[in-house]
Amino acid sequence: MVAEVEERVVPHEPGPDERVGGARWRPAGFLLALPSLAVFVGVGFIPLALVATWSFWSFDPDTYWIKPAWTFASYAALLENGRATVFLRTAGLAALTATASTLLAVPAAAVVGLLSGPRRAALLLALFTIPFFTSGLVRAFAWRLVLGRQGVINNALMSLGIVETPVEWLLFSDFAVLLGMVAAYLPFAIVPIVLAFARIEHSVIRASQDLGAGFWTVLATIVLPLVLPGIVAGFLFVFVVAVGTSMEIQLLGGAGASSISIMIDDVLRVVNFPLAFAIATVVITLLTVLIIIANRALRLSRLFESLGI
Amino acid sequence: MAHSIGNGSRPGVFSQLTRRQLVQNGVLGVGALAAGSLGPLRAARAADEINFWATGTLDIGDDGWRTIANDSGVKVHFTDNGNDPGPVLAKLAAGNAIDIFDVGGLQGGCEKELARRGLIAPWDISQIPNYASVWQWAKDIPYLTHDGKAYGIPTVINADSMIAVRDKAGSVDSYGVIFDPKLKGKTAMEDAWINSVTFTAIYLKNSENAKIAEPGNLTADELGLVMEFLIKHKRNGQFRTFWNGWEQGLQLVANQEVWVMTGWEPIVYAARMRGVDCYYAVPKEGYEGWANNAILLKSAVVRGRTKAAHQLVDALLSGFYGCKVGLLRGYVVPTDNNVAYATAHANAFDPAGVRELAERVKQKFAGKVYWQNTRPDNFQLYETWWQRLRNA
Amino acid sequence: MSFDAIVTGRTSGGRLLFTTITALSLAIMYAPVLYLLLASLNPDAQLGLVPPSRYSLKWYFALLGDGRLAGALKESALVGLATAALATPIGLSAALAYRAMTRLRGVFLLVILSAMFVPGTIEGLGLSATLRVVGLAPSWVTIAIGHLLWTLPFAAVVSLIGLSAVRPSTIAAARDLGAGPIRAFVDITLPLMRTNLISSFVFAFLLSLNEQARAYYLAGRQNTLPLYMFGAMNSGASPTIYAFSGAIIVISVAVVALVFASLVGQQSRRPRQAPGKTSY
Repeated sequence: MVAEVEERVVPHEPGPDERVGGARWRPAGFLLALPSLAVFVGVGFIPLALVATWSFWSFDPDTYWIKPAWTFASYAALLENGRATVFLRTAGLAALTATASTLLAVPAAAVVGLLSGPRRAALLLALFTIPFFTSGLVRAFAWRLVLGRQGVINNALMSLGIVETPVEWLLFSDFAVLLGMVAAYLPFAIVPIVLAFARIEHSVIRASQDLGAGFWTVLATIVLPLVLPGIVAGFLFVFVVAVGTSMEIQLLGGAGASSISIMIDDVLRVVNFPLAFAIATVVITLLTVLIIIANRALRLSRLFESLGI
Repeated sequence: MAHSIGNGSRPGVFSQLTRRQLVQNGVLGVGALAAGSLGPLRAARAADEINFWATGTLDIGDDGWRTIANDSGVKVHFTDNGNDPGPVLAKLAAGNAIDIFDVGGLQGGCEKELARRGLIAPWDISQIPNYASVWQWAKDIPYLTHDGKAYGIPTVINADSMIAVRDKAGSVDSYGVIFDPKLKGKTAMEDAWINSVTFTAIYLKNSENAKIAEPGNLTADELGLVMEFLIKHKRNGQFRTFWNGWEQGLQLVANQEVWVMTGWEPIVYAARMRGVDCYYAVPKEGYEGWANNAILLKSAVVRGRTKAAHQLVDALLSGFYGCKVGLLRGYVVPTDNNVAYATAHANAFDPAGVRELAERVKQKFAGKVYWQNTRPDNFQLYETWWQRLRNA
Repeated sequence: MSFDAIVTGRTSGGRLLFTTITALSLAIMYAPVLYLLLASLNPDAQLGLVPPSRYSLKWYFALLGDGRLAGALKESALVGLATAALATPIGLSAALAYRAMTRLRGVFLLVILSAMFVPGTIEGLGLSATLRVVGLAPSWVTIAIGHLLWTLPFAAVVSLIGLSAVRPSTIAAARDLGAGPIRAFVDITLPLMRTNLISSFVFAFLLSLNEQARAYYLAGRQNTLPLYMFGAMNSGASPTIYAFSGAIIVISVAVVALVFASLVGQQSRRPRQAPGKTSY
C-alpha cells in the first residue's frame, strides 16, 4: 500500500529506450505533433515572419506606407516616451490579476473538485462558466454602473450612512481595473484546476485520513502537489489573457490608462506598422523568455507528466 | 439609441415589428453568411448592391436602408466599422477591407493618404446631382479634396463643444472650465488626440493667447505646448477619466460621474431623457467641426459598382437619409434637401424639428469652427505625445 | 469521471473558509451579470436600474426583431463551433505528442504556447494580410482559422492536464491484455478523458465567442457578436444588447437547472457509495 502510494506520487521519466506496454513511443511523438505544428506553421508562422520583417522596416512619409529601409529605429523608439513602462505595468497588472485569480480559484476549485458530489460539482462549474457566454465588453461596462458615484455600491454605502459622499476610488482606478479583470477571467483559472482534480485518487485521501491527517495536511501534502499542473495552467491562462486585453483598462481605468494592446492600437492608428510590429515582437520574445525561465526554475514540464510514467 | 430632436417624442426604430420585417432581417443575415462563406471572391449577384462599411453613426437600421433601396434602387448591406478610425485605416491599408467593401464612411482626414496609396478612387461629382445642394462650407472642408479631385463626400456633420450639467457646473462659456481646479476630478475628455488636442489647442489659442496657428494641424512646437498643458492637468488629477464611444460618454453624464466634458451633442438629449439637466455649451473660443465622409473604395471600381456607389451617395444626400439620421442620432446631413423631404412627408418626420436642427448647425458653423483631422501633418508625433500623456 | 464527496459530517474551519471564498468568487463574477439582468428590464434607453414597478420586457421583444444582432450571433456561433471542433482534437494530439516525446517536448510545448503570446490585433492584421495573398476571402472561415491558432494552446494545456490523470499502469494493463496502441487509446484513454475533452471544447468555444481583436481584421461583411457589441457601444446602441446579455443568462441558467434536475432524477436511483471513514 505504501509502495503503491509512493509510486504514484513520485514521477519518473522514462529513458530513451524504455518501452511502455511493449511498444516504442518515439516515432509516434512526431506523428502526433504534426497537426498542431501544421496549424502553427501554416497559420502562425507566416504572419509572425511578416511581423518580424516589417518591424525592421521604416515608415515612408511620402506614401504613408512602409519601405524596406532596414533599421532598428522602431525598437529604439520603444525606449522613449514611456513606452517601456507600458510593458512593465501591463505585465505587473496581469501578474496581479493572475495571482488574485489563482488565490480565489484554488479554494473554489477545491470546493468543486473535492468537497462536492458530482452533481454539485457540475452545477458549480456551470455557474462559473455561464457569465462567459455574455459579452465581456458589456460586463465590464456594467461594472461602471456598480462602482460609480451613483452606482449600486455607493448608493448602498450612502443609504446605510457609512459614507457621506460617494467613494471616488471605486471606479476609474487600479482597484476597479483589477476587480473587473478578476471577475472576467476567474473561470480561466478555475477550470484547469478543477480538471486537475481528476488526478487525485480518492483512496489516497482516505488513506491519509486513516493515518490521521487533517484537512490542511491533506491539502498541503496530497492535493496541492497533484493539482499543481492545473494551478500553473490557470495562472498562465489568466496571465496571457490579461496581458492581451484592453477592455477593462479602457472602461474602468483612469484618464488615458494604457496597456500593451491600447498602445498597439494607438500606434496602428497612425499607421506606424514598424513600431506596432516591434511592440508585438518584444511582447512575444519577453513572454517566451518568461516561460523558459519559469520552466527551468519550476520544472514545469515535469508537472504535466502522468503519475508513474 | 433612438432619440429625437427637440420635443422628445420617439417614433423609433422599434415600432410595428411586422412578420415581414422579421423574415427580411433573417434573410439579410443568412444571405450575408452564405455570400461570405463561399470561398474565393465572387461577383455580387446584383449589380446594384453596395457593401457600405461605415461608422455606426451613419447607420439608419435595416428598415431605413430598405427605404433607400426602394427609392434609389441600391441595396445597401451595412457593416459597422467600429467607429475608431485607427483599426479602420489599418484594415484598409494592410488588411482585407479593400476586397470586401465598396463604400466606406469614417471621420475625415485620411483621404489624401488613401488616395496616394491607391486604395480609394475619386468621386465623379457629375454623377451625384444632389451634391449641388450640399452646403458650401461643407464642400470646402480642406481634406476632402486631393489633387483637385473629390475623394470624400460629407455625409454627417456637426460642430462639437462641451456637455455641462447645469446645477453642478453652472453657466459654461469657455473650455477653461474643463481645466478648472474647482472641478477637479469632475471633468472628462475623449480618449482620442484628434478631438482632445484640438479642443485644448482651441482653448489655449483663444483664451490664453498661445501662439497657435491652426488648432487642427499643430506644428511640433505647438503640439508640445498643448500636450504639456494636458499632461500637467492629468497629473493633477483634473480628469475623472477619458471616454471612448457613445455609451461610455453618455454614462459619464447620465450618472453624473462628470459635470463637464467635451463630447458629442446628442449626448445632451439622451442625458436629458435620463433626467439630467444638462446643456450643450456655446464656448467663446469656438467649436471643433467634424464630418463623417463617404469614400469610394477601390474594390467598387474593380467590381464595376461605381455607378451604384454614386447612386447611393446621391441617395444619402436626397433628404430621407438626412431626416432619418436626424431622428435617430440628432446629427445633420449637410443639405437643405432634408427640410424639403420632411415638409413633403410631414406624417413621418417633423419639418419644424428638421429645420431647427439644420439651423442650429448652420449657426454654429457661422462662428468660429476648427476642423477635426485624423491626419494632421505631424500625426505620428501626436501619437508619441499621447503616449507620454498616457504614461504621465 | 466522478467527484466523490470526500468530506462528510461536521464542517471544519478549512471547509468553511473555502466555501466562503467560493461564494465570494461567484459574487464577484455575477455582480455585473445580475446588474445587467435587472437593468435590462428598464424600459428607458440607457443602462440603469429602475424600481420594480417600472419593469418591462420591451427590450427583450425588440431583441426578437434585431436582425443585425441575429446575424452576428449566427456568425459567432459558426466560428465558435468550428474553432472548438478543430481545436479540441488538435489540442489532444498535441498533448499526446508531448507525452510521447522525450527531449524535444519542452521546445514543442513552447512552440505551441507561443501562439498565445501574439497580441491579437497584430495576429489578426498579419494573418489577414497573409490570407489576402493566398486569396482566401474573409468570412467566418478566416475568423475560425485565426481563432484556431488562439485557442489551440489552451486546448492543448487542458488536454495535458487531462492526460496527466490517465495512469500509465492502466494503459500497461490493457496492453498486457493484448490491446494495440490505438485500441488502448480509444477504449481506455479517451473515455477517461471525456470530461476533459468536453471542457476543452466548451473552453475553446467560449474563447472564440469572446475574442474581438483578431476577429476584427479577419471578418468579412458579417460582424461577429463581440464586433457587433463593440460597434454598438461606440456609436449608440439600442439597449437590446443588455437584453441580449440578460437573455443569455436566463437561458443558460434554465438549461443548467434542467440538466441538474434530470441528473438528480438519475442519481437518486443509483445505490449510494460507502461513506468515507473519517470526517472533518
